[in-house]
Amino acid sequence: MLRPARELVRFRGLLGTLTARELKARYRGSVLGFLWSLANPLLQLAVYTFVFGLIFRPHGGGLADPYALFLITGLFPWVWVSSSILEGSMSFIASSGLLRKAVFPVELLPTVAVLSNLVHFLLAVPILAAALAVGRGLGYGVSGWPALLLPAIVVLQLPMVTGLVLGISALNVHFKDVRDIVANLMTLLFFLTPILYPLEAIPYRSLWWLVRLNPFTPYTLGYQQTLFYGVVPDPTLWAQMALVALVAWASGAWLFERLRETLVEAA
Amino acid sequence: MTRPGVAGGEGAGEPGAGAEPGGPAAIRVEGVTKLYRRMAPGAKLATLKSALMGGTLTRGLTAEQSIAALEGIDLTVRRGEAFGVIGGNGSGKSTLLKLVAGILRPTAGRVEVDGRVAALIELGAGFHPEISGRENVYVNGAVLGLSRREVDRRLDSIVAFSGLADFIDEPVKNYSSGMYVRLGFAVAVHTDPDVLLVDEVLAVGDEAFAHKCLRRIEEMLSDGRTLLFVSHSLDLVESLCDRVLWLDRGRQRMVGDPRRVVDAYRQSVAEEEGRAHREEKDEAERERGEAGAAADAAAPGGAGRRERRWGSREAVLTGVRMLAGGEERYHAASGEAVAFELEVEAERPLEDFVFGVRISTPRGTECWGTNTHLAGHRPRRLAGLATVRVVCPSLRLAAGEYFVDAAVHSTEGAPYDYWRHALAFTVTSADRGVGVYSPEHRWESAGGVEWEDGREA
Repeated sequence: MLRPARELVRFRGLLGTLTARELKARYRGSVLGFLWSLANPLLQLAVYTFVFGLIFRPHGGGLADPYALFLITGLFPWVWVSSSILEGSMSFIASSGLLRKAVFPVELLPTVAVLSNLVHFLLAVPILAAALAVGRGLGYGVSGWPALLLPAIVVLQLPMVTGLVLGISALNVHFKDVRDIVANLMTLLFFLTPILYPLEAIPYRSLWWLVRLNPFTPYTLGYQQTLFYGVVPDPTLWAQMALVALVAWASGAWLFERLRETLVEAA
Repeated sequence: MTRPGVAGGEGAGEPGAGAEPGGPAAIRVEGVTKLYRRMAPGAKLATLKSALMGGTLTRGLTAEQSIAALEGIDLTVRRGEAFGVIGGNGSGKSTLLKLVAGILRPTAGRVEVDGRVAALIELGAGFHPEISGRENVYVNGAVLGLSRREVDRRLDSIVAFSGLADFIDEPVKNYSSGMYVRLGFAVAVHTDPDVLLVDEVLAVGDEAFAHKCLRRIEEMLSDGRTLLFVSHSLDLVESLCDRVLWLDRGRQRMVGDPRRVVDAYRQSVAEEEGRAHREEKDEAERERGEAGAAADAAAPGGAGRRERRWGSREAVLTGVRMLAGGEERYHAASGEAVAFELEVEAERPLEDFVFGVRISTPRGTECWGTNTHLAGHRPRRLAGLATVRVVCPSLRLAAGEYFVDAAVHSTEGAPYDYWRHALAFTVTSADRGVGVYSPEHRWESAGGVEWEDGREA
C-alpha cells in the first residue's frame, strides 16, 4: 500500500512534467487557452445561479443564502473529484502505447489526471474567493478567516481521490464496464452529496443518513463550513475526512498493487 | 568484401567468436518462459479474477488457454557485447527485448540487467501530439529517467542529432512518421544507457538517418556499452553483432557466431519457402484436377481455363516438378544439382513436339530458357503418358525467388500447353552476390592488399 506512494514521491519530477504536459495539451490550439480554467467555473456559476436561483427555488434555501455561493462552494471541489475519477479511470487505456513500449512507473498516469484537475480547481479558487467577497460586500454573512483552512481539506481529499483513481483505473484495464459503472455512480453520488442542498434541509431521517454516510460528504461539509459559513469544522469532521482518506487510499492502492503486474499486458 | 551499410563487424570472422566472450555479464536471462493468456471472448471476468487472486494472468492455465511467447530461454550477454536476435514474426524477439527492458515480467525464470537500460522499442512512445517537439523532448527524457537539468544540458545535442531544428517548436502531430522516429531516437541515445535495446527501429528513418543511428550505436559499442539488437535485416545483424540468437517460435534454436547462425536461419527460411511453393503447386494441381474435366467440356480444344495456361491441349502437361538431392524439393543452394521434370499426356500420337522450360524472377526478368529443339533433339513420336526432364548438374542462380514456366509446343511454336509459373522455388547462397547469376568464382589479390579474415583471398 505504501509502494505507489513511494513511487509517486520518487518520480515527482516526472509527475510534474507529465501534469504540465497534460495542462498544456488541453488548451493548446484554443484561443482563450488557460482563461478557460477561469471561464468554465464562471459559466457554471452563471448557469446554476440562473436555474436554481431563479427558476427552481430550492427547498430549505434559507439555510443556504445566497444559494449560488453555497452551490459553487461545494460544486467546484466536486468537479475536481469527479473529473479526476472519470479521466483517471481511462488513463491506462489512453496511454497503453506508453505502457507497452517504455519502462514506466505506471502509478503516475492516473495521478496525473488527479493533479491536472486539481490545478483547474485551484485556478477556480480566486473566482470562488471573489464571489464570496462580493457576497460579504452585499451584507451576507458568508465566509471568514476559516476559509484559510481550505488547503488542509484539499490535502486530506487528495489521497482519497488518488487512491480511488488508482484502484478504478487498474480495474478498468481488465474490465471495461468499470468506466460506465463509475460514470453512473458518480452522477448518483453527486445528488447524494449535499452540494445542491444543505444537509439540514433533508426532510427524512433515513435519507439524511444515506447522504451523511456518503464518503464524499465530509469533504463537502468541510468546504462549505470553512468557505461558505466561515466556521472551523469540529474535530469529528476532520477525523472523518482523515479516516475516509486513509481507507480510500489503502483500498485503492491495494487493488492497484494486486493488478500492477498485469496492467501492461492487459492494457 | 564490404556488406551494405556496414562498418566494423569485428568478431564475425574470428575463430571462436561463437563462444561466450569473457567479462562481466550485462544481461543474464535464466530459464525464462513467458506465457500470454489467450483473450477469449467472455473470459474477461476470469482474467480479472486470476489477476486479483494471483497477481498474474497466467497462473493455472491449461495449454489451450495460454500461448508461450518464449520458452526456456537461457543467455548471457557480456558487457560491451553486441548481441543480435533474429527469427520470424511471432518468434518472441520483441517479447525477449521487453523482458530485458523490464516492461514485461517473465512467467518463469529470471532476467537480470546490470546498468541503465534504454529501450528503443517504439521510438517516441508517449510523445504527446498536441505539444511541441521541444516540450516532448523534456517529457520523453523524463520518462527515460533524465532530470530537467540533464535534458537542458543535452537539448542542443538532441535537436542537432535529430536534424529537426526547424520543426522543434511545432506540435508533434504535424511531424511525419520519420521525424517522429528521429526525435525519439535522438532522445533515447542521449539518455546515456549502459545497455541499449534496439528493436527494428532503424528501418523507419531514411537511409542517411539510419546510417547516423548505426554510427551512434557503434560509437556506444566502442565505449563499452552493451547492445541487444533485434532485426529482420540479417546483413545488418551479421555485420554489427558479435553473437546472434535465433529464436524459432519462442524457443532458442541456435546461438553463436553471426555468420553461422544467420546462414542456418536463411537455410531454414528457404526450406520453409520451398515447402510453401510445393503446397501452392499441389493445391493448384488439385484444383485443376477437380475443375479440369468441366473446363475441357466447356471449351473443347480451346485455350486453358486460366490466363496462366494456354494452348491447343493436343498434349497436356499433367505435372511439373523440381527435383533436388534425389527428392521433389522447391529450394536449392546455388550450384546444387537440380532437375525440372515435365509430365505430359498426348491425346493422340504427335509427331511434332518440343519441350521447354523458362526461369524468371518474380519481377519478370528472364534468367534462362531452353527447349529440346534448341538442344538439338528432333521429335519422332509422342503418345500416351511421358516424362521429360531437364537436368542441371549445377544451377548457378543467385540467391532469390524464381518462377518456372513449362511448355510443350510445336516446332513452329504453336503451344499445345503453355504453363506460366508452373512452379516457384527459392535459391540460397552462402555468397551474398546480387543479380540472377552466380558463377563459380573467387577473389584473388596481390600487392598492398590485406584482408581482415587472414585468408588467402
